[in-house]
Amino acid sequence: MASTVLTIPKLQMSSTEGTLAEWLVEDGALVQAGQPIYTLETDKAVQEIEAPVSGRLVQKKPAGETYPVGTEIGEIVAE
Amino acid sequence: MASTTRDLGIDPAVLVEIYRQMSRIHEVDKAIQAGLSSGRFQFTYWPMTGQEAIPAAIAPLVTPEDYMLTIYRGIHDQVAKGVPLKGLFAEALGRRDGVNKGKGGSPHISHPPSGSMLTTAIVGGNTVIANGLALANKMRGTRRVTIANFGDGATSIGTLHEAMNLAGVWKLPVIFLCQNNQIGEYTPIPEYTASKDFASRAAAYGFKGVRLDGNDPIAFHNAMKEIIAEVRDGHGPVFVEAVTMRLSQHAGVGWTTHLSKEELERAKADWPVPKTRKLLLEAGVLTAEELDAIDQAARKEVEEAIEFALASPVTPAEEMLVDVYGDPEIPPRRHQRVKRAAERLPQGERKMMAMYEAIQDAIEISLELDPEVFYLGEDIGDPPGGVFRCFKGLKQRYPERIRPTPIAEQAIIGCATGAAIAGMRPVAEIMFIDFIGVCLDQISNHAAKQRYMSGSATHVPMTIRTITGGGLGGLGAQHSQALEAILLHQPGLKVVYPSTPTDAKGLLLSCIFDDDPCVQIESMLLNYTTREEVPLGDYRIPIGVAAVRREGSDISLITYGWHVRVCLQVAEELAKEGISCEVIDLRTLLPLDYDRILSSVEKTGRALVVHAATEFCGLGSEIAATINEELFAKLKAPAARFGAAYAPIAYSRAIEDAQIPNAGTIAERVRELLKY
Repeated sequence: MASTVLTIPKLQMSSTEGTLAEWLVEDGALVQAGQPIYTLETDKAVQEIEAPVSGRLVQKKPAGETYPVGTEIGEIVAE
Repeated sequence: MASTTRDLGIDPAVLVEIYRQMSRIHEVDKAIQAGLSSGRFQFTYWPMTGQEAIPAAIAPLVTPEDYMLTIYRGIHDQVAKGVPLKGLFAEALGRRDGVNKGKGGSPHISHPPSGSMLTTAIVGGNTVIANGLALANKMRGTRRVTIANFGDGATSIGTLHEAMNLAGVWKLPVIFLCQNNQIGEYTPIPEYTASKDFASRAAAYGFKGVRLDGNDPIAFHNAMKEIIAEVRDGHGPVFVEAVTMRLSQHAGVGWTTHLSKEELERAKADWPVPKTRKLLLEAGVLTAEELDAIDQAARKEVEEAIEFALASPVTPAEEMLVDVYGDPEIPPRRHQRVKRAAERLPQGERKMMAMYEAIQDAIEISLELDPEVFYLGEDIGDPPGGVFRCFKGLKQRYPERIRPTPIAEQAIIGCATGAAIAGMRPVAEIMFIDFIGVCLDQISNHAAKQRYMSGSATHVPMTIRTITGGGLGGLGAQHSQALEAILLHQPGLKVVYPSTPTDAKGLLLSCIFDDDPCVQIESMLLNYTTREEVPLGDYRIPIGVAAVRREGSDISLITYGWHVRVCLQVAEELAKEGISCEVIDLRTLLPLDYDRILSSVEKTGRALVVHAATEFCGLGSEIAATINEELFAKLKAPAARFGAAYAPIAYSRAIEDAQIPNAGTIAERVRELLKY
């Protein structure tokens, strides 16, 4: 099954880390591409991050913590 | 295609084509944002979500022969102009198969086969360059149009003023396309301007400005159709303000955070991509299945491009010094000792000329040799025939190719850069080198870097002539400085600095016909006080070849410009004391002739580099350090440098004489070095 890895994105030129503020979708739930799946806080803003593809969300890191850019926080497994 | 049920005000087939481009742009935007969010790849992205209709509506009106310039927020412009998506994505990811070999990246795309000529990350910087491309089209008698895209933020910067003023006075076939997305980076209108609109500014420059709805592809296309036709017909420039809305962040991914949730929802309702899709469906032009097929094809094209880009290797470190210049031997590097043959001057007739007359001779020869050579600069028409008298009588003989400009150095250098990118050989005069400060962005960020940023997809065969007023006295701090070190610190430029009329002519001709941007620095003092028999006709002094002006055995005096003359006087004086000085005239400051420099010092065992430029961080420090590293065991004394004191040039003659190395102080330094 194809899966798409979710990592803390580099949203701004100056981003080095981001806080995974809240998962907006339950672990294991089906998501549609474009659906907001978590909120990310950076020094600049709070943003809803949308699912890049459709599939089943697997959470790998808990919300409420700050991670470096590139940290794998979950994946979306194609159904 | 279904039969239309109502009049759309546009050929439905054209609207479908516009939608196809919008769909491609949208899929590119979506795929980049998804790839960045998921961490599939990383690069700095300045999204253009919401602005898709502008380039999409123009696409059916232009061909790859028409030029387009854009900015870092310009992926939509690239896609619609026809830059291949595979090369575009590979470039954005810094890969070898990128359209610019991964050296320019997403903010610096150039792809001449599709007419995408230059992309700048300096706000407003491309507008003056667009003038040069447009001038090349005009001088060559084509009907090509040049479109310079920029954001509303660029309306605040002086470059655009200079660009519009020059385009107006020269009636250039250029369109200034302001994509007004209502926010400059993070600062919205009206926080950064009190202007109510931007289009009305064009009237002040004597040409037409129009404000259009950039989110209405039909109305925008129809208006642009007329505008592009007018510009092709030679009616001069047009300023177009295309009002749109940036729905995305300044950089990165996600929706804009400068609008409230309600404002964003309203803005999304006017988003041209879904709006046009809906229109095509409701008007019965295309069925849902046909629209899906367009979107599907775009998605497939984008996915294939991303897979191609990810499979392409990251451009390797071995490429580092390639594309700085056309010749990879030019960039200075440790232990470099390139051997270049000296000139062979013609044996025929010679004529007594002052340096400024030798320069005029070179100018006339270049105009005769190549119809693509032209000159631009302040006051180069008659009268006065150039404030340094190098253009006397030429305007009448070459009315189109001797182009007096407004007092606007950014416009001059940008125009030369653009014409050079189009393949012409422009020669720009910057009256005094002190004025490079007002056009350094054009020289440094654009002319010098363009070959590298484009992976040699483009290059800039232009020449800048400029004068230093030092040594004459009384010109003051803003007309006397020796600023060559600033230029030497910018990879991509070649710099020559003649000290004789023969060299001034031969080096200038070499610069004009060189394929990289060259700067010839001339000394005002030498221009009028040096005369010699100069060979007639075309000859070249090769770039990167120094000359021994006097042979000697105790010390090498390494210098250039008007200090060659001073060092020759010093050598004459010191000979009376039994000190034998060799005097090396560098002639070219980049590339340096380290072979002749080191050969001389190997013989003498001592070196002093002398220049009028500030000693601290000057070229002398560089040369002395290299000599010390390369010839340490052979030196009788440390290689030394001697430049001007660390102060602006004073108006007082007593201070100027003392602050720049003079015959007395140079001789003193030589005697000190002989004491080791």
